[in-house]
Parts: sequence; structure tokens; C-alpha cells
Amino acid sequence: MTTSFKPLRTGRPKFDPNSIFWRNMQTFANNRLALFCAFVVLLFVFISIFAPWIAPHDPNETDLFRRLQPPAWKDGGTWAHVLGCDALGRDILSRIIYGSRVSIFIGAAVILVATTIGTLAGLAAGYLRGWVDTVISRVVDILLAFPYLIFAIGLMAMMGPGLGNIILALAYKEWVIPCRVVRGETLATREQEYVEAARALGASDRHIMLKEILPNILSPVVVVSTIRMAHVIILEASLSFLGLGVQPPTASWGAMVADGRAFILESWWVSTFPGVAILLLVLAINVASQGLRDAFDPRFQQ
Amino acid sequence: MTMFKKAIATSAMLLMTAGASLSAQELRIGFSRDADTLDPANHRNRETQTIIRNIYDGILTRDSSMNIHAEIAESYRQVSPTEYDFVIRQGITFHDGSELTVEDVKFTLERLFKEGAMGNGQTSPRASLLGPMESVEILDDNTLRVHLSEPWPLLPAMLPFQEVVSKAFVERVGTSGMASQVNGAGPFKLVRWNRGESVIMERFDDYYGGAAGIPPVETACVERVIFQVIPESASRVAALLSGDVHIISELPTFSVNQVRNNPNTDVMTVNGTRSFFIAMNNESDLFSDLKVRQAVAHAINKDLIVDRILDGYATSIDGILSPDAFGKNHDLPTYDYDPAKARALLAEAGYPDGIEVTMDVEGAFRDTAEAIASLLTNAGIRTRVAVSEGAILTQKWRTQGGEKSGDLYFSSWGNGSLDPHDIFVPTHRTNDRGNSAGYANPRVDELLDAGAAELDVERRAAIYREAEAIAAADVPYVYLWVPQDIYGVSNRVSGWSPSPDSRINLHNACLN
Amino acid sequence: MSLTRVIERLLQLIPVLLGVSLIVFIMMAFTPGDPVDIMIGDQNVSAEQEAAMRRDLGLDRPIHERYVIFLGNAVQGDFGQSFYHRRPVSEVIVERLPATIELTLVALLIALFTSIPLGVIAAIKKNSWIDRSATVFSLLGVSLPGFWFGILLLMVFAVHFNLLPVSGRISYSNQVEPITHFLLIDTLLRGRLDAFWEALKHILLPAITLGLPMTAILTRVTRTSMLEVLRQDYVTFAEAKGLSRRKVMFRHALKNALIPTVSVAAIETGSLLGGNMIVETVFGWPGLGRLVVESIFVRNYPLVQAAVLFYAVTYVMLNFTADILYTKLNPRVKL
Repeated sequence: MTTSFKPLRTGRPKFDPNSIFWRNMQTFANNRLALFCAFVVLLFVFISIFAPWIAPHDPNETDLFRRLQPPAWKDGGTWAHVLGCDALGRDILSRIIYGSRVSIFIGAAVILVATTIGTLAGLAAGYLRGWVDTVISRVVDILLAFPYLIFAIGLMAMMGPGLGNIILALAYKEWVIPCRVVRGETLATREQEYVEAARALGASDRHIMLKEILPNILSPVVVVSTIRMAHVIILEASLSFLGLGVQPPTASWGAMVADGRAFILESWWVSTFPGVAILLLVLAINVASQGLRDAFDPRFQQ
Repeated sequence: MTMFKKAIATSAMLLMTAGASLSAQELRIGFSRDADTLDPANHRNRETQTIIRNIYDGILTRDSSMNIHAEIAESYRQVSPTEYDFVIRQGITFHDGSELTVEDVKFTLERLFKEGAMGNGQTSPRASLLGPMESVEILDDNTLRVHLSEPWPLLPAMLPFQEVVSKAFVERVGTSGMASQVNGAGPFKLVRWNRGESVIMERFDDYYGGAAGIPPVETACVERVIFQVIPESASRVAALLSGDVHIISELPTFSVNQVRNNPNTDVMTVNGTRSFFIAMNNESDLFSDLKVRQAVAHAINKDLIVDRILDGYATSIDGILSPDAFGKNHDLPTYDYDPAKARALLAEAGYPDGIEVTMDVEGAFRDTAEAIASLLTNAGIRTRVAVSEGAILTQKWRTQGGEKSGDLYFSSWGNGSLDPHDIFVPTHRTNDRGNSAGYANPRVDELLDAGAAELDVERRAAIYREAEAIAAADVPYVYLWVPQDIYGVSNRVSGWSPSPDSRINLHNACLN
Repeated sequence: MSLTRVIERLLQLIPVLLGVSLIVFIMMAFTPGDPVDIMIGDQNVSAEQEAAMRRDLGLDRPIHERYVIFLGNAVQGDFGQSFYHRRPVSEVIVERLPATIELTLVALLIALFTSIPLGVIAAIKKNSWIDRSATVFSLLGVSLPGFWFGILLLMVFAVHFNLLPVSGRISYSNQVEPITHFLLIDTLLRGRLDAFWEALKHILLPAITLGLPMTAILTRVTRTSMLEVLRQDYVTFAEAKGLSRRKVMFRHALKNALIPTVSVAAIETGSLLGGNMIVETVFGWPGLGRLVVESIFVRNYPLVQAAVLFYAVTYVMLNFTADILYTKLNPRVKL
């Protein structure tokens, strides 16, 4: 068969950015809070990219004579180190600024890996059915039955610490969630007319899955993924809290909170500020993604 | 005084004393970890030992200055290099009221060192702590002879780590029952063990009084003792400050001031027995060069770190042994902090531009390792810190002769007996268990072997002094410091002081 | 639900459990670190003694043999001995379970009793300040990292105001002879109101910390489903018939609106149970989660193995329960 499928695509409700997408975006833009939070998220991304220019100090520069120096407005604090210093005399503000890189990078990387794997697996399971579906669904069942954190801790123990390994340890189970969403959506979509039509014309399974079904089920996937990203950032912090985070001297918010908790009684600032940073970013992502969901998911449109 | 007034006064007094005695008699310890088991022969864990040791007594014991005293034994003596006699004290009863006999002591030791003695073909995991013990012989009603397969001067130093059990009781409840049921001869008897939460003990009123050499020889002072498990150090400190507990272990140095400034609490310290050091991989091309090892030693400002990170609660060392250890060489050369000299040494060794290395460390000591790394980096030894789990690091570094990878390893070795044999041999003898540096010096091996068998105390000390001097010149490790053990203690506690072997002996502790 | 359906569900457990156990086993096998090494620690031990310890733990056998032995024993209910406790792991796990389950249930109760009224009111008074605060609250709830929130609570209520205890389940003077091992129940059964109050004070902070994300999720679920129900015809109809609004809300609307809440709650309880190791660490709560994490670090293979299987069974059972609840509450759904 040599004919291209291009002309055929006009026959079905096409993924058209000019109508549905823009209408949804407009709905989103009308949600002022969500929009504001999306800006906050972008601000964090901006900060993480330009950290070297924004941070007032080298985040890894230790000076034991500044050990546990309080924030500027407290006795003993200086404006050079606005949020104070940690146990090794490193500037907390600079470490928070650099720490955003770890949180955002891990959050984005895990979601990217997990969504890709999960979408492909979900498409295959939902479209091909049969033994592919059975195998994938079984694996999903098994992984879901594992407590998330214990699974991640076990994997980290097995692979050792490191940025790449954290991403793997978190993505290992995370893909299950987009997989389930995609499988369900695919099951609903595969019987629709345009899919049937493509099949009747002899399009390959691969073509149908990737070119026909995928574009139509993408928006719930994107919505789920953004919400999960907030979750992954908290999980990374939890892993760091348990001592299984990134390698020193890289600053990570979770590790900063964890290391600082020993000093919480006398030097509260060490773990409080990075905690606030996690809260702000995760909150912003959650509000923004909820706005996205309200705008894009027809079930929430009123 | 009318009857009525009298009655009120009496009842008020009764109430007051009742209230006072109720609260005054319960001593609570904020402890970092629960016991694994209550069976003295079935664990390899220091904290478990600390808890159990208040319920069970040993043949020998130590006072808080680390002197060895006879406890359940009345006296002991060395008969020959491989034979020791123990005279067992008469009139000691176990918590169930039965009398402790020489048979029980024999049974205790055999249960520990004999292969398969725990039942089900299992051997006690503590067997190795009794070294070359071969057999135990009953000489008469109260005398016991221990036979060793080779001379082992360490026996008296190691016996305080073992506790005497009742033969009849073990035979009745079995090894599985011993895990949670207790019939000891110690100052406290078990009331209840809430797993993961607390171990509750009560004064044993028929206690024989404990070691004759450690007064007062009488029953315990407090009525009840509770080991409360509080793993988080901040929570432990909070519990002490709020009066929930009266003694806390492992008080972090940065909380010392807070505990000290609180009018109701104070800080007690004791020299610990754990030596910290940086192992350099002597088998690698880089660190097989003495000059490079010396450079590392000169690049580290021990005093700064002891002062700033350990808040002064540590003693720096120039050799592996703690200053309190037997046979310590007090005239070792010191590697002064001198980054310029370190750079010069590196240049002499052929690295004018410095070197790049990785330092392995366990998560708990990450801060210290990072501080050391920045000092090293300043002296041209650009160091990256790599945090790993302890389980992984020991496998990587303690290769016992196998191939070794890695550059530097921030590590430590405990020495609860303060005898050089327990720390010097594993860390410095060629291919021994804890020789993470891969140090190999035939002369040191020779001396360590001689020290293990030498019975003359003076000659033995001289042997270790020589070995330490050789090791200090070879610098296979950078010897760092021995931290103090820090405890937070309520002002209401008296009669208790911390002990270097990290035991918390509550026999004489009182609560006012 | 028919009997065959129940049996089918139970049979589905088998491949899940086999898969879970195999994965844990493989993970453990490839994890560096050696329990015997950890156990010996800083001691001087001969090679023979070390080998004997390894033999005693069954670690001298090759990995596939160990898996087969494990499976054979597990089928008979024997999960092996904990390396460190030297007792059957099932015993060690069962001892820790009451604390974990009690904490989880209290967290669940707090979540249900906060989220349902909050969600319902938010739906009824849509766009009011209550609705907005509920939204803010539920967003905060899923955005707060649990460990940090727990530490904050500890700082404020235990240390600063000294209102609540720092850690543990109950103080000694209030301990009662166990019956169910759930302290909140035991103290009541023994008629010790003061002890009950004490136990409640101990469990409050950890349960709030643990239950917060779930409260947040359930508030949203309740609000959404309540909104949906309120739009249904029968509600409008009932109101038109002249029934009081209050009656309509509580008799009809609420019952239907709670279906998703309850089934989400059942499923989320699984993650609550498997996710409390952090709360247990912060509050020194003597539960299973902390034990499992510690066991991973010291390579206590049998305990990790058995505990993960326990979590898996619980997860599957809770899902099963969610299904049943869903059918029971909603006769229109046929499974």
C-alpha cells in the first residue's frame, strides 16, 4: 500500500488546537489563581535554570565559623546570608536556589520517563488486548501491591545513591499510573468510528495507536502527569529524608530538611526554609494542574 | 488539734508522700533504639546489650572508670596461659527465686561458645566474643575452670560483655522463649517489653548487691526503670527538656548548650572508645606513595573540626588507639595542619597540580566528611564526598585481601574493651577484617601476634607502643579523633555516671 | 457479589503474591551488603566463625535454592527467622502490627470525619468562603511534605506549648493489660478513661500528620461527587415534592455522594498503611513501617520479604473491600 493516510484524517473529529485546545486554554487563563500558580512554577523553573546568576553565594562553600548562623533579622545574623547558614556554614538561600534544580529536574525527568513508558504500555494493553493486556495488567497489579516508598527504598539500596538512580527508583512504579489511565481511555476509544475506519483501510496497529488514538487521549494524560509531578517531588524529598537522596555536596530540599531536623530545637531555620520551598513549589504545581484539569477534562466542566 | 484537722493533715501528708514516691521511683531513659531480643546469647548489638545488662549480671563487670571487677564471680585468677579459675559467689538468686550455681555459669558459657548449643543446630552469634574458649570444667561446688585452646589475655576484658543465665530456665523455655522471657540475676527484673517502644523493669528486691568492688552493694535505688525508645535525636532532647525522661543517650553536640542552659537538666560526658579515621587505599597507585598519604594527613585541620563540628567533644589522636587504651603510645609524631606542606609533598610525589579523589562515607557522618573534603580541596587534594549505606561500604572497603577500589574512606572502629587487640589487629594486621586501608607491614603483624599472646603486662604494652609508632610513621590511615559520649541528664538523677563502654548501668542510680 | 466472583478475586491474589515475592527476592539478591558483616560489626572474628554464622542464617546456599526454600516454607505459613531478632519474622511483624493499624485507623477516622462534612458543606455552599477554604485546605494537604509537617507539629504542640507528648504510644503509669493490643480500645475495655485520654494524646499528632493528605483527597472527592448528585433529577424532584432541604441532603443526596468517597478511602487506606514509616520515624511510633525500613538497611531479608507480602495482601484485600462497598452502596453497579 502506497497511499498516504493523510487525507483520511479529515473524516474524524481531529485534534484541532484552534478550537478545543484554545477554548480550554482560555478557560484555564480565566482561572486567575491557577494562572498565577503556573507563573510561580515557571518562576521556579527560571530560578533553577539561572541559579548561578541568582544565588548570592556558592551553595557548597563551607565556612565552619558561620556554622548555624541565624537569618539576617535575628541576633547574630548578617544580610550577606539572609536565610542564615547550615551546619557547615553554607548559605541556605543559595542552597535553596540550587536545590530547586534537583527537585524540578527529578520531578520532570521521572514524569517524562514514567509517562512515556506508561502511555506506550497502556496503549498496547488497551488496543492490542489479549496476552499483551494480560501481561501488562498483571505487572501493574504486582507493582501497585508494593508500598511505593518501600519499593523505592529497596531499589535505592540495590542501585546505590545518585541522581540517575533516584529517577529510576521513582519511575519504576510511577509509570503504572499513566498506564492505567491510558489503557482505560484506549479501551473506550478503540471502538470509535475513526479508529474502525483506519483499521478497515489496513493501517498498521502501530499507526493506529500512535497517530489515531494517542492524540485524542493526550489531555487526560497530561493532566494526570502534572498532578503526579507534585507527588514525585514530595517522594524525592522523602527519599532524601531517609538518607537515600542525591550525593553531596549537591543541595536538595529534602536532604536539607532532613539534615536540619536534628537542629530543629535550636536552629529551626536550617530545615524550615527548604520545607517552605517544597511546599510552595508543590502547592503551585497542584493548583496549576487542577486548573488544567478543570479546563481540559470535560467531566469537570460545568 | 481536733480529730478532723488531724485527719486532714494526715491524709494530706499521705497524699503528698504517695505522690512523691510515685513519681520519684520511676527512672526513664530516652534511648535511641529498641532491643533486638532479650536473650543475652542471641544478638550482636550494643544497644541490646545495654538494656539487657540491667536485667542480667555477668561473671565480671566494669565500673565507670573501666576497671574490671568480679560480679557474679567472687574472684578469678589465671592458672596458666590457657587456664582461668573463677570462684562463683554463693547465695545469689535468680529473679524466679532459684539459686545461681556454678552449673548455671558453666551452662551460660557453653551456650555461648559451643557450636550448635543454641538448639536447631544454631550457634550463638556471640561465640566469637569468647575467642579461643575450649571447655569449662567444674572443679568444686563454687569453682570453675575455663580452658582456652591458645593463650588469650583478653578473657577478663571480654567477659563483662556476657551475662549469666539460669540453666533450668533456658531448658524450660528454650531459645525461642529466651527472646522475650527473662530470668536473670541482675538488679532489675523485666516487667514488660513493648516491642519497638519500651522495656520496663522493676527493682529486684532479693538482689545480691552487685560487684563487691563497686559500692554500694545493695539492691537498686529506684523502683522502676523504663527504657523508652526515641529514635529521633530532636525528639529525645525534647523529651528530656519536658521532663518525660531523665537520661538520654547520644545527645547531639549542638544541643548541649540548650540542655545545659535548662535549669532542670545537665550534660554528662565520658571519653568514648570509638576511634575515627580516614582509610587511604594503600593498594592504589596514588596512596601507595607515602608522600601522598602524608600530604593528606597534613591537609586536615583536626582541631578546627573537633572545635566547630564536634563542639570540642572529642580528643584528637595520632594513632589508632584511644588515649585511655591499654598500651597507648603517648609520644607519637603529630601531623600538623599545613596545607602548604601538603601541596609540597604532592609535588614531590609527582603531582604538582594536585590530585582528584573520592571519599566514601556513611550518611550519618556526611557533614564531617564534607568539612574534611573542603579542607583537603584547599590543599590540592580535590575531594568529592560519596555517601553510601554502611552495608555497602564495609563490603567495598573491608575486603580482607580481596581487590580493593576507592580512594578514601571516612570510617571508625569501636573498642569497648579498650584493649588494643580488639582494634589494632582488625584494622592494621595484613588482610584482617577491618583493614580497610589495605595496610600490610610484616613487622606490625609480628608485633600484633606477639601482643595477643604476651602475658606480661609491661612487655605487652611495650609491644603495642612499638606497633603504634611504626603505623604512625607509615600513615596508612589519617587518625582523627575519639569522640566523647554525651548524655543529657535530669538534675533529679544522682548516683549515675556514664561509662566509656556505653553501658547504662542503673544499679546505683537514684531519682530525687 | 457472587461466590464465584469472590473466589476469582482470591485466585488473582496468587500471581500477584508470587510476583511480589520474586521481585523482593531478586532485589535483595542484587543489593550489595552482607547481614553477617553488619552483625559482626567492629569485632575480631575468625573466618570459620564467620562462615558458621552465615550457615546458621542459611546464607551459604545459592539464591535460587533460597527462593525455593522460602516458597516451600511460606506456603506452610513459615516465613523464616529474623536475622537480628532471632525469632520467626511472622512473630516480629505481628507484634508491630497493632501500633501501625491503630495509627492508620485513627488517621482514617480523622480523615473521614473531617473530609465528609467539609466536602459536603463546600458543595452545598458552593463558591462561599467555606468552599474556598476547603479548596485551599485540600491543596495544602496534598502539598505538605509529611515529614516536615510532622516536625512542625512536634515543635509547636509538644515542645513549645508542651501540650502533647513527643513520642511513644502511652506512658508507663497508664499502661493497661493488653486485650486487643489496640491501646484506644484496651484502655476503654479496662475502664481507664484517664489512660484512654493519654493514649489519645499520644496518637493525635502522628495520626493528623499521616491522615492529612488523605483528608485533603477525600474532601475533594466528596465535594465533587456531592456537586454531581445535587444536579441529579431525583434531588430536584424530592425538593419539588416539598421535602425539607435538610432531609433531601441527608437522606438522599449524601448517601449517593458518599459512594466514591468510601471506595477511594478504602483504596487510599492501603497507601496510608504502606506509607507511614516516615511518620513513625518522626514520632517514634513503634510500628511496622519503621521496622521494615530499618530491616532493609541491615539486610534483614526474611523480615522485608514477609512484610512486603503482608502489604501486598492488604492492598489487594482493601481493593476488594472497595469493590464490595461500591456494589453494596450502589445497587446499580453490578460487578
